[in-house]
This record gives sequence, structure tokens and C-alpha cells, in this order.
Amino acid sequence: MTNDLLLLIFNADFLFSLIRITAPILFAALGAVIAEKAGVVNIGLEGIMMISALFGVMFAYWTQLWWVGVLGALVVGVLLALMIGFFAFELKTNIILAGIAVNMLGAGGTIFLLSMLTGMKGNTGALVTRELLIPTINIPLIKSIPVLGQVLSGHAVLTYLAFLFVWLMWVLLYKTPLGLNIRAVGENPDAATSIGVSVQKIQYIAIALSGAMAGLGGAFMSMYYSQGWNSGMVAGRGFIALAATAMGRGEPVGTMLSSLLFGLAQALRTKVSGIQGVSSYLVSVIPYLVTIIGLVAYAISIKNKLKKRSPASKGA
Amino acid sequence: MSSDRRLLLFNLLRGAAAIFLALLVATALIFLSSKEPLTALKYLLLGPVISFKSTGMVFNTVSFLTILAAMTPTIFSGLAVCVMFSASQFNLGGEGVIMLGGFVGALLGIYLKLNTGLHQVVCILAAAVVGGLVMLIPALLKVKLGASEMVTSLMMNYIIMFIILHFLNFTFADRSKGATQSFPFEATAKIPEIVSNGTKLTWGLVIALIFVVIIALFMYRTKWGYAIRMVGINQSFAQYSGIQVGMIIVLSQVIGGMLSGIGGSIEMLGRYNTFLWRELPGYGWIGITVAILAKNNPIFVPLAALFIAYLDKGCQLMSINSDVPFEMIDIIQAAIFLFFAAEQFLAKYRQRIVVRNAQRDLALQEAAVSREGKLS
Amino acid sequence: MEQENLVVQMKGISKVYPNGIAANRDVNFTLRRGEIHAIMGENGAGKSTLMKILFGLEQPTSGEILVNGEPVVINSPNKAISLGIGMVHQHFMLVPSLTVAENIVLGMAPTKSRVFVDYKKAVEIAEENATRFNLRIDPNAKVVDIPVGMKQKVEILKALVRGAKILILDEPTAVLTTQETSELFKELISLKEQGFTIVFISHKLKEIKQITDRLTIMRNGKSMGVYETASISEEEISRLMVGRDVVLEVIKDKAQPSETVLKVRDLEYTDRWNKKMLDKVSFSVRKGEILGIAGVEGNGQRELVEMLFNLNVPDAGTVYANGKSLIGMPQNIIRDQGVSLVPEDRMTYGIADIASIEENVISDRFGEKRFNRGPLFNMREIHQESETLIVDYRILAKSRKQQVKMLSGGNIQKVVVARELSSQPTLLIADQPTRGIDVGATEFIRNQIVELSRNGSGVLLVSADLNEVIELSDSLIVMYGGKIVAYFEDTDQLDDITMGEYMLGLKHQTEEEIAKVCYE
Repeated sequence: MTNDLLLLIFNADFLFSLIRITAPILFAALGAVIAEKAGVVNIGLEGIMMISALFGVMFAYWTQLWWVGVLGALVVGVLLALMIGFFAFELKTNIILAGIAVNMLGAGGTIFLLSMLTGMKGNTGALVTRELLIPTINIPLIKSIPVLGQVLSGHAVLTYLAFLFVWLMWVLLYKTPLGLNIRAVGENPDAATSIGVSVQKIQYIAIALSGAMAGLGGAFMSMYYSQGWNSGMVAGRGFIALAATAMGRGEPVGTMLSSLLFGLAQALRTKVSGIQGVSSYLVSVIPYLVTIIGLVAYAISIKNKLKKRSPASKGA
Repeated sequence: MSSDRRLLLFNLLRGAAAIFLALLVATALIFLSSKEPLTALKYLLLGPVISFKSTGMVFNTVSFLTILAAMTPTIFSGLAVCVMFSASQFNLGGEGVIMLGGFVGALLGIYLKLNTGLHQVVCILAAAVVGGLVMLIPALLKVKLGASEMVTSLMMNYIIMFIILHFLNFTFADRSKGATQSFPFEATAKIPEIVSNGTKLTWGLVIALIFVVIIALFMYRTKWGYAIRMVGINQSFAQYSGIQVGMIIVLSQVIGGMLSGIGGSIEMLGRYNTFLWRELPGYGWIGITVAILAKNNPIFVPLAALFIAYLDKGCQLMSINSDVPFEMIDIIQAAIFLFFAAEQFLAKYRQRIVVRNAQRDLALQEAAVSREGKLS
Repeated sequence: MEQENLVVQMKGISKVYPNGIAANRDVNFTLRRGEIHAIMGENGAGKSTLMKILFGLEQPTSGEILVNGEPVVINSPNKAISLGIGMVHQHFMLVPSLTVAENIVLGMAPTKSRVFVDYKKAVEIAEENATRFNLRIDPNAKVVDIPVGMKQKVEILKALVRGAKILILDEPTAVLTTQETSELFKELISLKEQGFTIVFISHKLKEIKQITDRLTIMRNGKSMGVYETASISEEEISRLMVGRDVVLEVIKDKAQPSETVLKVRDLEYTDRWNKKMLDKVSFSVRKGEILGIAGVEGNGQRELVEMLFNLNVPDAGTVYANGKSLIGMPQNIIRDQGVSLVPEDRMTYGIADIASIEENVISDRFGEKRFNRGPLFNMREIHQESETLIVDYRILAKSRKQQVKMLSGGNIQKVVVARELSSQPTLLIADQPTRGIDVGATEFIRNQIVELSRNGSGVLLVSADLNEVIELSDSLIVMYGGKIVAYFEDTDQLDDITMGEYMLGLKHQTEEEIAKVCYE
């Protein structure tokens, strides 16, 4: 059985699916990264993904254009995130509770919306035709390289985009004035205020970008990964993304690595559950368990770092 | 009217306004989406307690009892959230622990042979212990390592669910049935109905109400509850005062786990004959809504749970009798959630009352100071 | 002519905070172009509030502001910056993980291709200005890694780069070493020569005399007048500032100190910015006496108190109360030793703001047998306790159920004092017990502290209020630069001037003299 496992892991198909599975987690995790950098907790990622996923399908269906669907999902994601922001910043709702409210909308509100818009129950069924799925791309040169081509070529546009966004997010945060402001607001809001940078404005921008990322993640789920929207589709990816971000120390690249780790756990689950005698349920536990273990490892490392930094914390 | 009472009244009115606003959102959505909005509204708002017959409207006792029955698990999950949120612990693991409590209760209900009375007590206690132990994990990780209890508890929900499904499928499944479910519980383990009319209104509700009193006393009349609340309000203050903050954080989550476990087992042994939950039951999330409506005060939990159960029933009836789907409940809940928890919602009016109070206090004080000055 | 020279005129400024505290009352303040102008006053005199109003962080309740002769409304720091006003806050407003250059250009970063931060340009801007204004910095260092003195320069540069012509410095020397301070002064004088106007908030006489042209003295929210620095004596300043004439003398009989209750030996602590905050601090407190700790704030007093109550852990040294070591002990054990603390920061440590008065006064004793009956609280006892404390400590409130945050500052402090003094402590640590509260409450609290000591408790009083610490203490130590520099066994003959010399580090006693405070 060990042999089987090794064979399963070390083949191109598996690595291909690893990348595919990681993409939606990565989108949401990048959303968590940008929010966290501005000192905002966006626990509503899960709900935003659900709702955006639905609207992605709907917009694509209405216009019969896949890219309008993706764009629509993105816009809906931004609007929902801004709503969380509005309640948290203006009306002082605890931002965790505002996020939970959006998750509720994601769980039930979507089913309501779907039924309202189409009369369908629980999934979008035949609305999504082949032409409306996010198209895949074969990369000319890489495609013909034996194993690498199989792994890296032929992914959906959004898959490549997800990994591209890791770099873009890094550039945004570390190379642009907006990024400078975002990091300043997250680290020391008073510093930002003192030189006339509006904390609230920056936080609105950050949470909107966070919503955009989750929106793309949602579109990826319904318009490529599951080939249609259904009610159990996101299955905690928004929450896993939060954990991935915590483990990736809130940095784009670190978060990509931890997202890949969660992707690996999920890919393993899909593969291993096909093997006779292995419980698919227990394998399903892996990504969540890895998340907790990752968080614990991260927490321990932080604690050790603090200890080294200041002798004063030794007793505390 | 004294200004303190005015503030209280204001808070009540504000709550009512939040609920009203949420229902207004629902009404708007119904009018937007439905071809028969009035029918839908009628069933949503009145349906739960009134039957519409050709002869007129009659109070529907059976339906009312069903609503009461539906309160049982959410009272427990609401209480659990009250205790944990009071300590400022955003533990969202109620979902998983309720399912686990149901599972533990079910297993002992199936495989233990005990006299009735004792049997239920053992099942419920075991569920409480297991629930408390499970919540030790996020609590200890928080206290010892500073890992966010929110994320760990969320992850645990899924872990618990899949582990239960594993055992349900591979170890405890009743293969004679088409669907995956356990063997039936012993009759001795069942929590009996108060009135046997199919409403599933069991003595579980009575136990839940007893727990409301116990938890209210615990939170407001014992040193532990006091410590939990102080830690929740100001952790630095609690530490400086000599309260063992870490222990209290753990305690609050363990109690939350125990309450969730009890709720799960009572729901399982009261409403069902075999264990057949295939996914997280959702009571944990409702518990958060309930706790928020109750402002973390256990005494208000039954009222909040009743309100949510009523809405739930209303949405069910609406979806049966009109073209509006049941999931409207989530939209209403989300709206209530947002407005109810919004501190600044109508804050202008509150500020006015507070300022008036402060001004009067200042005047009083200055009078007192000048009096003292004259004396000395 | 005179009018033209005035860059800032603040007329009849009053500020009443929502909690009813009047921080400024009809204050007039003017700035001449190119002067260094000190605002002096004790803590809570309203200096910072006045400057926050000028910088747009607070809005005045009434009054008007003219900048360069034009009436203006300064409703945000942005507006102030656009008027050429910059402020360096007491607590640095810097982002630790960003570099010095990034902090300087934050919010106005130069870009290339309109999208990216031109970091090279940012460094250039930083360096250029650093050279021009003679402020030496390392533009590429991360702020988290640089010393305090450089942080301050970064703050000053931040303001200058934004075109500030008027610089407000809020107690700039509080966190600086002596060398850093003299460096700063050179820089400030050079800025003055370049035509900048500088407001210098401080309560250090020596510094003021050294570099300012004029000074405004504030007391109790009011301006006590504007003076040419050269033509006013230090004594005069001190008299106007502390206004000894209004402070009531505390009547107390001679202390009868008995056995030692607190023994502190060789405490050392270096903070995370590598500043030595406690340097071999040793002293004892005996029952029946009030030992005062005087000193300008920031000379280690706060750290010392933190160590005594295990809110922080020293690098070396011992603390014994009634023979038991307190270091690393949880607070309940410390309290079991009869130690109680009136904390400096009452809103953070002293109270739970949305809890009731009753819940606040029992936080250290709610576990005691008399308040519990089986598993439940004995509510009657608790009510009685809180009612008694409210009466005994003259807490002005509607009822014991009132939320503490609804009370005035003085009454909030009375709640803290009621709890900490009524537990019959063998040792009371009172850290700035009357800061920022009204006269009535101040007098009451001082009398309570004296009474406690005369009933046999040891009291360690830490206060930045010179009058308070001299009047209240039986004996007194002075802290300067993390060290004890003087011990006065008897406070009767002490005067402000002698004290000032020790507090400002001009004088210190011999080790033998200081060691007398170490009773066994």
C-alpha cells in the first residue's frame, strides 16, 4: 500500500490536481492576507465565496459569456466585503460577527437567491454549459516538456491568475504607495492618522480587495472546479484560507506555501479515498488536522521568537 | 422616568428596531421575488401559531408545541455561546460538539443496558464530559500558545464531523437499512415526550429551561461566572485583580463544550430513534444568533430561541404554502445579526441620553464638592 | 508689526471633554515667527490638549485660531499639515517594520511609472532633508531596529518633509538619554536659525531655560501667562507651574515606622529598546511609613512598579514582601501577601469599564468565604460590602449598579482606591494616585493614604506631582535615569529647589547615604 501511495503522489496527474485544488484556497487566503495586513479580520470569506460563486454562474448564464461571470463574481465579492466593512467600521458591529452574518447569507441566502432567480433547488444543474466554464490554456513551450508540461500546462485561466496574484499581492504590499499605507494602518493606525492617512479609507480598500480575491475564488469553484454551483460547494475553504494565512504569517509567499500544503492534503484525500480499504472520511480529516497542526507550529515559533527577543517575557 | 431606566428602554427599543428592520428586509425580498407575497407573509408571520381554516383563524396548539420543541437544542447552544462569548472567547466549535454530543448519546443509548431514568442521565453526562474535553483543545491552545480559538474550533467542527461519519459508516452502521444510520436506541434511553402527539416536545425542553436558570445563576451569582465576565470585559484588570485568567478562559470553553454536548445528546435522544445526522446540524450557528439576541445574558436565551424557532417555523410554512423558499430564514438571521450587534446603530440617540446623564451627574457632583468646600 | 510676526494666535480656547473634564479654559496662546516657545505645566495642566487642538486632533469647544493672521478651522491633522504645522508626539507615531525612509515619506511616497514606490527617491528625500536640517539618520534601517534618539529625528523629519514651518514637540526629552537630549537641542537651535518656529512642551526647568525664548505656563487648564525666558527666574516658573499656594497641606502626625514589609534589592531591567530602565534599585518600605518615590516621569518608576506587581519581570534582583518573594508570582499570591496596588493606568488595570461599581470593588475579594455561600455568591454580603465602600469612600453614584465608565475620573479613581485600601493591605503601592482628578477627590484620596499608613500599613507612593510626594511622604527617594540618586529620611525640610536638582540629575548623594533606605 505504501508503494501505491508513492506511485500516486509521484505522478504528473497528481501534481496537476494539486495545483488545481490549491487555487481556490489560495484566492481566499490572499484575500485574508490583504485584510490582515490592514488590521482587519475577514471571517466572511466563506460566505463571499459561496455568493460570488452563484453570481458567477448566473452572470455567465445571462450573458452567455464566461468572463462576464468571473467579473460579476468579483464585483459581488467586493460589494459583500464592503458591506462587512460598513457594518464593522460605521455601525461598530464586531467584525467577526459581521463576517459570520455574511457566512449565513452564503449558506442559506444563496439557495434562496437561486430559487428566486431560476426556481432551481440547491444547484445550478444544467445552467452551466461547457462554453460557460472558465477556459483552460495550454502553454506552448512548456506543454511539450515531458512531465513538467503535464503538470503546468492545461490549467484554467484563473488557476494561473491565482498564482500570479501571489506575486501581484507582494508587489502591491511592498512596492506601491497603497501597500505602504496598508501596512502602516495595520501596524500602527495612529502613525497613519498622524500624517493624514485615513485609516478607515485604507481599511475599506483592503477589505474590498479581500472581497475581490474571495469573489474570484468563488468563480473558480462554480465555473471550473465543480462545473456548476451547489450548496455544499465551498466546504470550509474560506475558513481553511484563514488558517493558511495565519500559518503563512500573513505574507503572500508564505501563504502560498501553506495553501499548497492544504491543497496537498485535499489532493491526497481525493486520491487515497479511491483506494480499497481506506476510509474517505478519515482522509477528509487531513486538511483540517494539518491546519491545526500548522497553527500550533506557527504559534510555538512565534512564542520562541518572542522569548529570544525580550528577556522580560520569560515569566509571563 | 429615571435616566437609567430610559437607557434600558432605549436598548429594548433598539433591539426591536433591529428585528423590525430585518423583517422589513425580508418583506421587501418577498415582494420582490414572490407572485403571492401576501400569502407568503401571512404564513411567515402568523402561520406558526395560527391555522387558516375556511371558517376563520384558529390557534394552532400542535404547531406551537413544535416550535417549543425546536427551541430545545438552540437553548443549549445559545447558553454555550453566552458563556464563551462572555469571556471574549470567539469559539465557534459548538457545531461540531453538538454533533459529537448527539453521537456519544446515541452510542450509549444503543449499547448500554440500563434502567430508564439512569440510562438517559448516563448518556447526557457522558456527552457533557466528552464535549468539555473536546473544547479543552482550542482552549489550551489559546492559553498556552496563543493560537486563535476561532480558527482551531472551526477546523475541529470538520474533523469531528468526518470522524463521526467514519465510525457511523464503518463501525456502527445498521446494514439492514438503505441509508447510513445507526441501530435504534434502547427505549430506556429515549427522552420521553411531555405530550404524546407527535410534536416531539420532550422533557428535554424542561431540562433546557432548568439549565437556563443554572447558567444564569452561574454567570451572575457565582465566583466563576463573575471571573468569566471580568476576563471578558478587561483581561488586564482581571489579571491585576488576581483572577487566574488562563484558567478562566479554559473554564469558559469547557463549560461551553459541556452545554453543547448536553444539547446534542438531548436533541438526539428526544427527537430521533437512530443516529442519522450526515452533516453538521447547524445548531451551533443558531446558538450564536441566539446569544447575540440575548446580549449574552442566559435569562434572555429562551426568548431569543423562541423567536428564532418561530421564524424557522414561519419560513417552513411559507415555503410549503407559497413560492418563497425556506432559506429566507438565513437572510433574516443575517440581517438581525448585523443590526443587533451594531453598537452604533441608533447610537446618536443613546449618546444623547448618556450626555444628559453625565451632565446631571456633574451638576450633582459640583454641588457636593462645593458643599464639602463650605464645610472645611 | 507685532501682529505680522505672530504665526499662530489661539484666542479664548476652551475644551470640555465628553466626560465633563475641562482640559482648557479660555486659554490665549501666541507664537512668534522663529522662536522656541515652551509650554510648561504639570501633568494634566492642559498642555497636550492645547497642542492637539492646534494640530487638529481635537476640536475646541470654543475659541478661535489664527495662522499667519488668517482665521482657520483646523479639523484634521491633514489641515494642520497643510497650514505648515507639524507635531512630534510623545509616543512615536512610527511603523516599526518599515524603514526610516518609508516612514518619512509615508502617505506622500514618491512613485515611478505612477504605480510603484520609488524607494531610491524616498531614500534621497530622507537623506537630502537629513543633511539640510542636520538630523543624522540611517534611511535604510528598519524603525524597529533604531535607537530612540534616531526615532525622534525621524519624527521631526517627517514633519519637516511635509513642509512644516511650525514644529510642536510634546515632551521630546522624556525618552532621551542625556547625550541624545543635548544633540536634540543643537538640532532645534539650528532649525530655529533656519527660521522654523518650535513649540516645546516640557516640565523640565533646566531644559526650558537652556533653549527657549519665551514660555507659556499652564495650570489646571488655564494659562498663567506668557514670559520671556530670560526675564523670569526658575523659582518664579516653578511657583506659577505648581502653584503651591492652592495645595492644602496634608495634616499628619510623625511616622512610627516598625518592621520592614517590602524589601527590594538590586533590581535591574533593560527595556526592549535597550534602554536601562532600572539600575541596581534597592530600598525598603517599613510598616507605618509612607515612602515616596519622586522623579521626572520616565526615569524607571513605572517599570519599578510593574516589577513589584509581576506585571513585568526584571532581568535581575529580588523583591520580598513580608519575607516572600514576589517575582514571577501570580497576582492572587501577591495580593495574599497583603500587597495592593493603585495602578497608574486606571482605565487599563484599575477597572472593568462596563461592569458595575459593585463588580469593580469586589474583584480582589470575591472568592473570600464571607461572600460565598456554598457554590453561590452571598449577594447580601456583597451588596453590603459595596454599599459600605461607596459611602466610606464617598463615591458619587446613583447606585452600586451604575456602570463605572459612567462616573467622572475622580470617582472612578475612588472606586479603585476603595478596593485597594479597604483590603487592609500591609503594603500599598500607590502609583500616581491623584493624577488628572478633581481637587475634592485628590484631597480625599491623600487623606485616606495617610490614615492607612498611620494604622500600620507600609505605603510606597510614586508620584510625578512634586507637591504630593513631598507633602504626603514621611521619607523619600528620588529616581533619575533608572537609579536611586537620593534618600531623604525626613521630608520636612525638603524644598522644591533641592528636589529639582536631584530629579534633574544635577546632584546625587553618595552610595552610603542612599543605602540607608535599605532596612532589613
